[in-house]
Parts: sequence; C-alpha cells; structure tokens
Amino acid sequence: MTIFRLIAAALLPVLFAIFFYILEKKTKFAKFPYFVKQIIIGIVFGGIAVLATEFGIAVEDAVLNVRNAAPLTAGLLFGGPAGIIAGLIGGIHRWFCVLWGSAGTYTRIACSLATVFAGFFGAACRKLMFDNKKTSWFYGFALGVTTEVLHMLLLFLTNMNDIDTAFTYVAKCAMPMIIANSLSVMLSLLLVSLIGKEKLRKPREKKQIAQIFQFLLLICVIVAFFVTSGFTYSLQTKISVADADQLLRLNLEDVKADITDASDANLLDLTRRIADDISILSASAELSALAKKYNVSEINIVGQNGIIQSSSRYDFIGFDMNSGEQSKEFLVLLNGATEFVQEYQPISFSSELSMKYAGVSIQGGGFVQVGYNSSRFQKDIADHVKLAARNRHIGTDGFVMICDEQFNVVSSPYEEHIGTPLQFETDNTLEEMLELEGQRFEAKGRMEYDAYCMFIRAEGYFIIASIPIEEAMFSRNIAVYVLAFMEILVFASLFICVYFLIKNLVVDNIHKVNASLAKITDGDLNITVNVRGNEEFASLSDDINSTVKTLKHYIAEAAARIDKELEFAKAIQHSALPSVFPPYPSRRDFSIYASMYTAKEVGGDFYDFYLLNDHTLIFLIADVSGKGIPAAMFMMTAKTIIKSLAESGMEIDEVFSQANTKLCHNNEAGMFVTAWMGSLDLQTGILSYVNAGHNPPLIRKAGGNFEYLKTRPNFVLAGMDGARYRKHELRLDPDDTIYLYTDGVTEATNTDTQLYGEERLLKLLCNSQSNDPKYLCMLVKDDVDLFVGSAPQFDDITMLSVKLDHIQTHDSIITYPKAESLQIVTDFLGNKLKEWDISLKSANRVHIALDEIYSNIIHYSGATRAEVTCIRLEGLIKLIFKDNGTPYDPTALEDPDITLSAEEREFGGLGIFMVRKSARDMNYTYVDGLNCLALTFEV
Amino acid sequence: MIINKSVTNETLTLFVEGRLDTTTAPELEAALSASLSGINALVIDLAKLEYISSAGLRVILKAQKLMNMLGTMKLINVNESIMEVFEITGFVDILTIE
Repeated sequence: MTIFRLIAAALLPVLFAIFFYILEKKTKFAKFPYFVKQIIIGIVFGGIAVLATEFGIAVEDAVLNVRNAAPLTAGLLFGGPAGIIAGLIGGIHRWFCVLWGSAGTYTRIACSLATVFAGFFGAACRKLMFDNKKTSWFYGFALGVTTEVLHMLLLFLTNMNDIDTAFTYVAKCAMPMIIANSLSVMLSLLLVSLIGKEKLRKPREKKQIAQIFQFLLLICVIVAFFVTSGFTYSLQTKISVADADQLLRLNLEDVKADITDASDANLLDLTRRIADDISILSASAELSALAKKYNVSEINIVGQNGIIQSSSRYDFIGFDMNSGEQSKEFLVLLNGATEFVQEYQPISFSSELSMKYAGVSIQGGGFVQVGYNSSRFQKDIADHVKLAARNRHIGTDGFVMICDEQFNVVSSPYEEHIGTPLQFETDNTLEEMLELEGQRFEAKGRMEYDAYCMFIRAEGYFIIASIPIEEAMFSRNIAVYVLAFMEILVFASLFICVYFLIKNLVVDNIHKVNASLAKITDGDLNITVNVRGNEEFASLSDDINSTVKTLKHYIAEAAARIDKELEFAKAIQHSALPSVFPPYPSRRDFSIYASMYTAKEVGGDFYDFYLLNDHTLIFLIADVSGKGIPAAMFMMTAKTIIKSLAESGMEIDEVFSQANTKLCHNNEAGMFVTAWMGSLDLQTGILSYVNAGHNPPLIRKAGGNFEYLKTRPNFVLAGMDGARYRKHELRLDPDDTIYLYTDGVTEATNTDTQLYGEERLLKLLCNSQSNDPKYLCMLVKDDVDLFVGSAPQFDDITMLSVKLDHIQTHDSIITYPKAESLQIVTDFLGNKLKEWDISLKSANRVHIALDEIYSNIIHYSGATRAEVTCIRLEGLIKLIFKDNGTPYDPTALEDPDITLSAEEREFGGLGIFMVRKSARDMNYTYVDGLNCLALTFEV
Repeated sequence: MIINKSVTNETLTLFVEGRLDTTTAPELEAALSASLSGINALVIDLAKLEYISSAGLRVILKAQKLMNMLGTMKLINVNESIMEVFEITGFVDILTIE
C-alpha cells in the first residue's frame, strides 16, 4: 500500500507535465502571455508539491514524500519563473504545515529549503545549461538525484546536535525518496519527449565537446566515487571494529578484575586466619583437621628451601615447589613478599586438578599455602558476582553477562536472563568456542540482532560482553552516507561547472566563429570575426580576419578585371542591337520602341527589328538560357542567323525552323533560346507571328484594352533539331499596340522575394494613359524599378513595343479616328492633290470637306476605324469615307438658316452644309456595318 | 497655322496665316480669349488664310458675338476662297468685312 501511494505521488507531476505540454501544443493556451502561463504552471506545480506534503507516507517515524519533483519538473520543462513559483509555494507550505501537523518539525528547515532549492535549481539549470529549452531525461534523472541528495545533507546539517536521529531518518528515507523523485522528473521529461515525437537523442556522428568532457568526467567521477567510498568504508569498518573490540575487552577486564579482586581479598583473609592457627611444626594430621574446619581443599606448609614440609594431603609432602610452573610462582613469598594469590588454574602436581591457591609468609621463614576448589571460593563471592554485570552497559544496547561453568547465567542487566541457560546462535562447537576466549566473534543471542561478542574466564565464570553490530558500525555508516552524499553533490557541481565553462569558453565561441564564417561563406566578405573571450579565440579571430582580408583583396582584383571585360562584352552586345529611336523618322505609319537593361552580369536577352521592304516590318524579342559570356555569344549567333534568314525573305515560321536547325548544330553547351517574332504588313495590318517558347506578348486592340496574346508556343530554338514552328496571324487596326518582353520583367524580384508577375504587368498597361511604345516601355521599367526597390537585378529586362499608327496604300489611308489622325489624313490628301497638281481653290474645297467629315467621324461616330480614299477621275476628285461608327446620314440633314443674325446663330450644322455646297454630289450608304460617304468635286 | 497679334490703343489686330480648321481653330479661340481684356475693337487680318472650315467659322462667330457686346469687330483682307465660304454660309451678313 505504501509503495502504491509513493508511486501515485511520483506520477502526479508526470501527469501534469504531459497535460501542460499538450495544452501548449494543441490549444489556445500557447497564445497566453509568457508570464501568465508561467504563473499558472507555477501555481499548479506548487499545488502538486503541497499535495505531496499533505499525503506524505509515514514509515515508522519518518515521512516519505515526493515533493521536490514538482518544482524541479516545472523549472526544467516549462521555464524558470514556473519552477521558482512552484518551489516557493511547496517550500513555504512545508514550513507552515507543521502548524496543523501534516509533517514533522524535525525536518522542517531541511525540507522547506530543499523544495525552494529544487525550484531555483530547475530554473537555473534550464537557463544556464540548456539554453532555456527542455532537456533530456537522463539530465532530469541526475538533477533529481542531486536535489534529493542535497535534501538529505540538509537534514544532517540542520540537525548536527542530534546526529543519531538525523541518521535514522536519512537511512530510512534516502533511497526511496531519491529514487521516487528522480524517476518522477525523468519520466516527465521522457514522456513529454515521446509525445512530442522528438528523438530521445539526436544521433550524431561526432560528439560535442561538452559531451566528450562529460563522458570522461563521468568515468573519472564514478571510479573516484567507488574508490573513495570503498576506501572510506573499509577504513571506517576497521576502525569501528577495533573500537568495538577495545570496548568489549575493557568491559570484560573490568568485570574480571572486579570478581578476581573480591575473590582474592576473601581468600587471603581466610588464608591469614588459617596461618594464625598453625605453626611451622604443625603436623599433617593437624593440617587435615584445619582443612576440614575451614572447608578448604588443602593446606601446605612450605619451608625456606621451597619444599612442602607438611600438608593436609600426604602425597604432597616433600614436593619441591620449584619443580612446577604453577607452584614456582609462590616462591616470591620466600623472597620478601608476605602474601600471594594465584589464579584458578591446573596445579603443577597434577594437571588434571584445578585449584586456586593463596599463600602468606609465616614467622621463622616459609609460608602457608591454602588451596581452594572452585565451589569453595565461588560460594564466598556468588553475591558479588551476581551484581557485577547488573548495571553494566556497553554503548546504548550492548551489555555484559556472566555465567557459570555449566553455562547458566548468573549475572545480567536483564533480570529474566538470570538462572536460565546461556543462548547463543553460533556455528562453532563448544570446544571451538572455548578456544575463542578473548577474541571477538559474531553471534545472535536472545536480543535477536547480530552482535559482536567476546568472553573471558574469571574465577571459573564466563564473562560475556556483546554490542549490536549496527551500533558498533554507526559512525562508519554516517561517515559513508555523508561522504557519498557529499561526493554526489560535489560531482554534480563539477559536472555543471565543466558543462557551463566549456559551453561559455569554447562552444559558444565556436558557434560565434561559425556564425561569422557562415556569413562569410555566403559571400559577405565584410564580416569580421570578433570573438575575444580568451587569448586562443582572439588569435583565431585575427587569423580568420587576415585570411578573409587577403582573400577579399584578390577577389576585388579579379572582379575588377572581369568587370572590365564584362563591360566590353556588354558594350558589344548593346551595339549589336538597334538603339536609335525613332529608327525610321520618315515613317509615320507605325511607331516602335525597344529597350534592354542588362543585369550586372552579361545576359542573353536581345531584340531586333528591320524593314524587310517598305511595307513589311520584322520585329522579335528573345532570351538565351543562362547568363554570362556563353549566353552573350550564343545570343550574337542567334541574332545573326535569324536576321540573315529573315532578310532572305522567307516566311517567319520557316525562319525559325531553319534557325533552330542551325543553332542545334555546334551547341555543345546545350543552350537554347526562347523567341517571339512578328512580321507586320503595313499595307494590310496583317501580323504574322511565331512563338518559340517565349512569354506571351500583350496586345491592345483599338478601342479595347491590353490582354495577353496566348497561343500555344512551339518549342524553344536550339532545343531539339527538327522542331516545328507554326505561324499565326491576326489583323492589326490603326492604333493597335503590341508589347513584347522577356522574363526579366515578370520575374523581377523584390527584397521579399516576390515576383513582379504577369498580373501586375497587365494591370499596369491597362491603366496606362497612352499606348505610345516609348511611353509604355518607360512606364514598365519605372514600375519594375519601384517594385524591386533595393533588391539587385538578376536578369536582363528587355522589352519591345510596336504600334500601328495607320495603314496607307496608294489611294487610301486607314486611321483610328482621333484628333492627331486628322493631320495625317490631311497630309495624305495634301500630297495627293499636290501630286495631281490641283488648283489651290479646288484643293481647299476638298480639304474643307475632309476636315468637316473627318472631324464629325472623330467627334460623333464612335468609330475605331476610318478609311479615307481619294481617287482622281477625269476632271473630278472622288473622296470616299468609310467608318465603323454609328449609322449617320449627313445628306439627310436640313440646311441651317443662314439669314439669322450673329446672336441668333447656332454653332453647329454649318460643316455639312458647307460640304454640300462645295461638292458636286454627296452620296451616303450604310453597308456591312460601315458608314460610306462618297463626295465628288469638280476640279 | 500662325497667329500674330498687334495692339494699338484699344484695338487688337490678329494676323491669321495657314488653315483654320478643326485642328487649328482651338488655337485661335485660345488666342482671342487671352487677348480681349480692355479691347473695344478687334481686327482680324485674313490675308494669308488658306481656308476655313466650320470649326473656324465657329470661332469667328463666337468672336463676333462677344465683340457685339464689347465694341466692334471687323475682318480685313479676306481673299476669294474665304469669301466664298462666308457667302455660302451667310456669314457675310453678320460680319463686318472690309
């Protein structure tokens, strides 16, 4: 039951760790402000610590709990503030809970401090060691162990004056609490990692420096730990055993002396009384009587020569005292000593007989020796012996007892033992046991614990001393526990220090150097490495900087040379393109403009245009794959081939087919060209075009708006021999505009790496105020520049725009009716009339007619296409207007009243009237959606 | 079209050369409206005018209407073909032509 409660208490922090982790990952909890989250988590984990205290598990008089796991987990997993809050709540609660008795006073300071420490420790480790990230489970385990060990040491430190009780607590609590707390922290981290589907440990081919240090340190530490612990253990054991030996022996000697002294005094006294009763000449018979009277075993009288003169035992008479070791000792009485008592021992006369002798010298030389058997002298001192061991304790639980030769207890501090047979659990036989006199042996007596025992014999008694082994080893155990705890703390501190120092002095600096190097590798040679934390890194920084500086110098030199060459290449490339605008100043029937803005690197864009004859305009735009000199050279080849083929007069689809074939040959570099080429017939407005994989151009039909001219493109040029190219056709009307571009426009990139895009291009052109080619090209370039901002230009920006202004044949001119067109049509008519040598007056009439009718078409018809034809017949000039505007018959108009005064006159209506007056006839029809007005003038 | 101006006392004289048609009529209109303040006599010299279209007539008519309120207006040196137009359109009756 106890174990289950312990497990439950240990699992509580784990459950809440998982709960908050999921809350953070899956719910809106993540959006709470940082400190709000920390406070919530801190309070919850503080609550868990409080619960752990309240539901502590009492084991005998110690209380087990898993309080420190909660703050440590909070600090490690969720952040410093949470850990500190949890620690403070748990610690303060622990301090005050003694008031209502949830926990004991004895461990109050130690437990409170340890819990507060756990919170701060978790917070500090997360911040200093783990870069504010949650760490691996094995660190969690180690930190859990460290915290609990500190808890135990605090228990010792706060109870220095009652070390016994402290040790009792620690001995009971240490292992379960260390294990439960550290497993709880470990499980929290482990399960959260598993839920987060993170790898438990990133597999790395190479270990980090800190890891290598830690690994080596760990090995050294483990070895050192076991060596010192083992050494201390064995040393302390030896000392403790020796102490126990000495303690036992001293007590035994003490008791023995006590008994012997009492016995000796008694016997000497008796012997003296016997000696008073006899004289040197006493016969043996008298001695026997005396022996009977005093109830002693024998009485001997020894002469000055050391020989027994007379004795109560006849067989002893004449025995030389010098002949035996035992008897010889008594000769001291012949040498001045007056009395002598010997120990109970076998006698020299017969080793089978044991006897205790006492002797006193007598007047006239010689001495009386009295022998006592054991029952005789024991009878006199029995009462004394009974008391000898009664109040004698060794240490706390050790004691002495005395038993007689029949192994019945005669004296013991425990009254109930007396008179009962001695009880010992031992493997030795009686003989072996008797051999062990004066030596320590282990045995279990009635006290049911293992004890160190020792016995000696005195006056026919066995004196036995014993002390519990546990008590004998108490100091050793404390020493070993404290040492082990201290070592764990010291090594944990060492670990953290080494980790922290390496991280600060080496790893962080290496990262800084690497970050700078990465920037340099990315091409920013202006970065300097500036890590000056210590001499080594300062020197490394300087070396790198000087290397980069030298490199930069070489690169700059090389770049300058290449730049120069590229400038030449660019100049050559540009000079190959027509760049004088307007290119055909005498042509007013179309306008053309083109521009190419090259990127820093030479690119492969190009445009071209030429008049094949006076009514065919060829124009194209192209983009060679890739960049640099190869692209530029390929571009020159492509441009030359296309131009020479086009100028030979073949159809443009054929031009592309043949150019493709030629470009495919000798194209080891595998380059290709996208191209769009158009051929505009200026007399009909028919535009033939062919597209080899190029971006669709934008076209604006008169009166409409720009839209992409999307026809399925054919394959790129130089891509595949034998590719086929299809010619498309469409009719352009006056004022129609076409705009060609390369992907340098649509793929221009700004600093946010967004593309300019076809959408924006289309929108820009649609909102354009003019469709003049030059205006359009400038407009797009300006807008691209605006879009790109400070981002570098990667690709050539090339564009070409053509506008058909009017279509002119020998007899007629087609225009888009607008104010500017009137001048063109007027000039056309003027040239015709001049050519025919028409009189000024007649010519003016025709001019007025043109002005009136054409102005009406411009202003009122809504037409987008107006054709004016001028034919000379014999004596007549025929002027025919055709427009696609709303039907309007000027011949049906009533004549204005020309008799009105100036004030009464209206402004309108005069034009048609004037025409009608000046023309010979005027004829209107409306056919096929066209207003057709024919005027005839006499000339 | 070329327009020259000269002002003597309160008389403005405009010399109009070239064609007075849809394209050029607005120029004359602008020239007139810019120069008429403080003028009570307007003289338009049409000696070098090649032809006049209805747009031109409109400007002339507008000027005449204005000068009827401000003072006097006359056209001088009107050539044959211009005169023909004025006749056809009845302008001879409302303009002062010398």
